[in-house]
Amino acid sequence: MWPKIHSGFGYWDVVSWLVFFFIVSVFVLWFRSQGRSDYKEGTEQDDIFFCGNDVPEKGEDYAVPASGAYWGFTKALSGFYELLTAWHSGIATEYTGYLVVFTALMLSLALL
Amino acid sequence: MNWYDHLPALVLAVPLLGAFGAPVLGLSGRYARNAWFVLISACTAALALLLWQKASMNGVFVYVLGAESWKLALPSGMSLPIRIILEVDSFSALMAVIGSIASFAGTLFSLRFMERFSGLDKFVALYFLLTTGMLGMELTGDLFNFFVFLEIASVASFGLVAFWRDRPEAVEAGFKYMLISTVGALFVLLAVGLFYGRYNAVNMAAVGQMLHLGLPEKAALALLVAALAMKCGSVPMHMWTPDAYAEAPAGVTCLLVAVSQASLYGLFRVCFSIYGMSIGSSVVPWTIIVMGLLSMFIGVTMAVIQKDVKRLMAYHSVSQVGYILLGLGVGLLALKDAKAMADYGFTAIQGGIFHLMNYTMYKGLLFLVAGALAYAAKSRNLNELGGLAHAMPHTTFMFIIAAAAIAGLPPFNGFVSKLLIYESTFAVHPFLPVVAMVTSVLTLASFVKVFQTAFLGPRRSRLAEVEEVPGTMLLGMFSLTLVVLGLSLFPTWSMAHIIEPAAKALVDQAGYIRAVMGGGL
Repeated sequence: MWPKIHSGFGYWDVVSWLVFFFIVSVFVLWFRSQGRSDYKEGTEQDDIFFCGNDVPEKGEDYAVPASGAYWGFTKALSGFYELLTAWHSGIATEYTGYLVVFTALMLSLALL
Repeated sequence: MNWYDHLPALVLAVPLLGAFGAPVLGLSGRYARNAWFVLISACTAALALLLWQKASMNGVFVYVLGAESWKLALPSGMSLPIRIILEVDSFSALMAVIGSIASFAGTLFSLRFMERFSGLDKFVALYFLLTTGMLGMELTGDLFNFFVFLEIASVASFGLVAFWRDRPEAVEAGFKYMLISTVGALFVLLAVGLFYGRYNAVNMAAVGQMLHLGLPEKAALALLVAALAMKCGSVPMHMWTPDAYAEAPAGVTCLLVAVSQASLYGLFRVCFSIYGMSIGSSVVPWTIIVMGLLSMFIGVTMAVIQKDVKRLMAYHSVSQVGYILLGLGVGLLALKDAKAMADYGFTAIQGGIFHLMNYTMYKGLLFLVAGALAYAAKSRNLNELGGLAHAMPHTTFMFIIAAAAIAGLPPFNGFVSKLLIYESTFAVHPFLPVVAMVTSVLTLASFVKVFQTAFLGPRRSRLAEVEEVPGTMLLGMFSLTLVVLGLSLFPTWSMAHIIEPAAKALVDQAGYIRAVMGGGL
């Protein structure tokens, strides 16, 4: 009925997806409307629960910094990342060297 | 004289006029310079759109500079074209549209973003030279002129990357880019020389018609693949991209993304239109596929650990170029086999071209968002940002759209092009889409990190006074957001009217050659 993009193995139909998204949104809003009716904005109900402690005044004291994100992922792959960061040395002559070596490799492969 | 006939020349002449006019207009003050900046960018985009419309209606056509007639490709019964010939088909015209839209968005964004700095006459001049170089690479039908436009774009890029010359990092990034680009340009020139030595011709169609795969041709192909892959930021020659993209002013980075795609366009023009069936063994297609896989995975894994928002996005550029290389590499692999081309090759090419278009739009937008963060919060370090969603709601909204698109979340345009690439490359080997999908997951993880650390969470005390960026900067971002939403909501129309004609033009080597070698009449 609606135009589709066929990939040869399946298809994509944006309209069907939007209809699905709309139906799910209706359900989500309905569930949300079933929540507590005594909620008041701007009261102590809005306070952040900080493990029972007072919330620090400065945002930076309790924000999760970007360097802490995916700590487990990077720790588990630390060997890989050491190799990778060492490769990205920042030295211009090395970068140019990679181009020259790659070109030599391409020439060898193409000429063989 | 019908000006419509001269569109290919006008698309190049207008930004070139903009470059040389900028210092003169700059004498009349800031408003005159800004008006000139916007006017020329808007005119270039409008002309590129008209050119695309003409190519869509008429198919491939040529424009000869300096001839008695603009369409006389072979004057006086000559067997080889000798003049500068622009050759436009649906693929090259699409590239011109993509590039000029990115240039226009970067222009709008730069009006306020750059007003704190001096030397803006030179900035505007270099910006338009870069635009001219990019468009020239996409419209020329001549290998030597491709090299000339590549150099124009490169030299303008060096100046723009190092524009903030009081920053040592910017000067270093400009120097690195200059060093590696110069070596790459030398390889391109060497390849052009090899063609000229063999065939007495540098016209792409003429070389394509006469080409017989011997040692010089193989050497030229290897040199061109290496140099152009470096210019588009493919692994293992991608290292200049994080430095250059991060240090250039945000509007310039948006344009640099499109310029890198002009090199990618050159790579595929060489492979499909010059070599085509003569490309020989599967070495080159598989090299491109492997470069694509490495670019995807190494780019995204490096992005995950970045703390500088622009460097993070620059590594994602490497990763996204990998998808395009993968799609078009698989298409090149299927070129000799009609059944493979019908089964999956053409879909892979369509996916690659669609992703090229999508990538330029949402990546340009993401770099503008990064520029907006740097402008408002005076920092690109994600560790120093936080809670900006309330202060910058419009920027946040546009970031979410761009991030969802690059991560390939449905229903955004990135999902559609990735789906085409996943399903078509699966036919070659299941490992290919697996790497692509892992990359997509890591891309999402990376942008969740940016969203969480820059826009959500508690606001830093240092950022208490941060406000939304000025209107023209928002307008620059909004213009790209509009394109991303259009491509997302109307993928069928985009595929039928934009992508499929471009893919057909790319694989139609005979049509490309005939347009010039048929005399152009």
